[in-house]
Amino acid sequence: MKTFWRLLTSCKTCAALGLAFCLAGAVGSVATGRFPELFSDMDAMIFARWFARKGWIAPGATLWLYGLLLATGLLAVNAACCTAERLVQIFRGAVTLRRLLPHVMHMAFLGVILSHLASALYGDRIPGVTVPQGGVAPVGNKGWALRLERFDAKMGPDWYPRDASATVTLFRDRNPMARGVVRTNEPLFHEGYGIYLKDFGTTPGGVPFVVFDANRDPGASAILVASLVFTAANILYLIPSRRDDA
Amino acid sequence: MEGVQLVLFWLSLAAYGAEAGFRLGGVAPSSIWKAPLFAGVLLHAAFLGLRWGLSRHAPMSGLFESLTVFSFCCALAGLLLCGTEETEAAWKPLSVLVLLPQAAAAFLDKRLTPLYPALDTPWFASHVGLSFLGYGFFSAGLALAVVYLRSGGAAVYRAAGMSALYGFSAFSAGMVCGGIWAYYSWGSYWIWTPKEIWSVIVWVYFAALTHLKFIPPQAGWPGWGERLEMGATAAGYVVVLLTFLGVSLLLRSSHSF
Repeated sequence: MKTFWRLLTSCKTCAALGLAFCLAGAVGSVATGRFPELFSDMDAMIFARWFARKGWIAPGATLWLYGLLLATGLLAVNAACCTAERLVQIFRGAVTLRRLLPHVMHMAFLGVILSHLASALYGDRIPGVTVPQGGVAPVGNKGWALRLERFDAKMGPDWYPRDASATVTLFRDRNPMARGVVRTNEPLFHEGYGIYLKDFGTTPGGVPFVVFDANRDPGASAILVASLVFTAANILYLIPSRRDDA
Repeated sequence: MEGVQLVLFWLSLAAYGAEAGFRLGGVAPSSIWKAPLFAGVLLHAAFLGLRWGLSRHAPMSGLFESLTVFSFCCALAGLLLCGTEETEAAWKPLSVLVLLPQAAAAFLDKRLTPLYPALDTPWFASHVGLSFLGYGFFSAGLALAVVYLRSGGAAVYRAAGMSALYGFSAFSAGMVCGGIWAYYSWGSYWIWTPKEIWSVIVWVYFAALTHLKFIPPQAGWPGWGERLEMGATAAGYVVVLLTFLGVSLLLRSSHSF
């Protein structure tokens, strides 16, 4: 039992799992392009739904993904066990910020992993909501409808897009719920969903249309907080190390 | 003014070339602050600043700008980590690592181009700038690791360790900025593209690397010691190159450089 615990808390385990993660990821970066029939719609739905549909139909092609998920899970367990053990030691002895910071980073890393897990299980993706100017389109099966009031695109020389903005209204049962302007990098948020401008064009009849995605990412706020905590702890960790080396 | 910024580019390239030539020829300046490379960095900073002003966006889009920023960050990381007498030897390989991307950029189209709307956000400069700063530190790590593997030295070992730590810190902050940007642009912190996967590979690789020094050398398999740690630091540069250039040139990704 003691040997197993040592394995779980060891930096050697971290190094070995890190290497396994890198190898699995490297294979995956090639496989995602090699098997588009399997992987091309990975971003069109939440990960749990994609995995339930396609995760097991071609085990050879998705083997890297099992390795990646296993390595990620075990790295999280390794970080949790290491921090649990070291925190007991730290609080039995001299508690200093310098000794605590790596474990704050470990906990923030765990926060990011768990938040991604929440998003992968409980999120929602509604891609390709195409709306002509002045028209209305349903947003998935939510009972929502999106109306495109107005679309403006600024084109540069050679028809290079410089800016695009869409004024939209979101309805539920014909009652307006939200109205706003959606731009690239500026979505419209409502009830946890973000409405994103993904593409635009003109119909054969000359009417402008816009393609929107509606995404819900329940772990987003937690990921942001955990990432900022990680960054803050990381920066603080650099300051004393500079003094040590001075 | 467009011509002036190109003159600054060529002058910085000439300064980097002179530095690499002197170093490879066995001629070392009395101090790095009196070396052609330092003059090159000042000219390079002026070039990037002027280009930023002219194009009204951070000069980090496209292969030309990416390569020249990579070169600048390598030089900057070297100035921060290799400024002492003990670490001076690292300038021989590092001057080549600074020169190569700048020389490669010289062959590419240098025209100012408008920014694609998705890149027109402050997150672009912070995400790409911090990522390249990380790459610069990892490149300095390669130079320091090579020197350590050839001649040893506690100060070189310590500086190489700092290169991994500083590089990891800058790269992590860059990933956080990229994640926030992705959320506002795509509606998700993560998408499954080769560039994204390789970015996390770089992050995990250097995260694991910063843990290696906590493994006692006598702990047996896999026999981690300082030399193996330095070997892994040097190999990290290959991971960086694969992420920066390999993925963009060999694999299809929605990310470019």
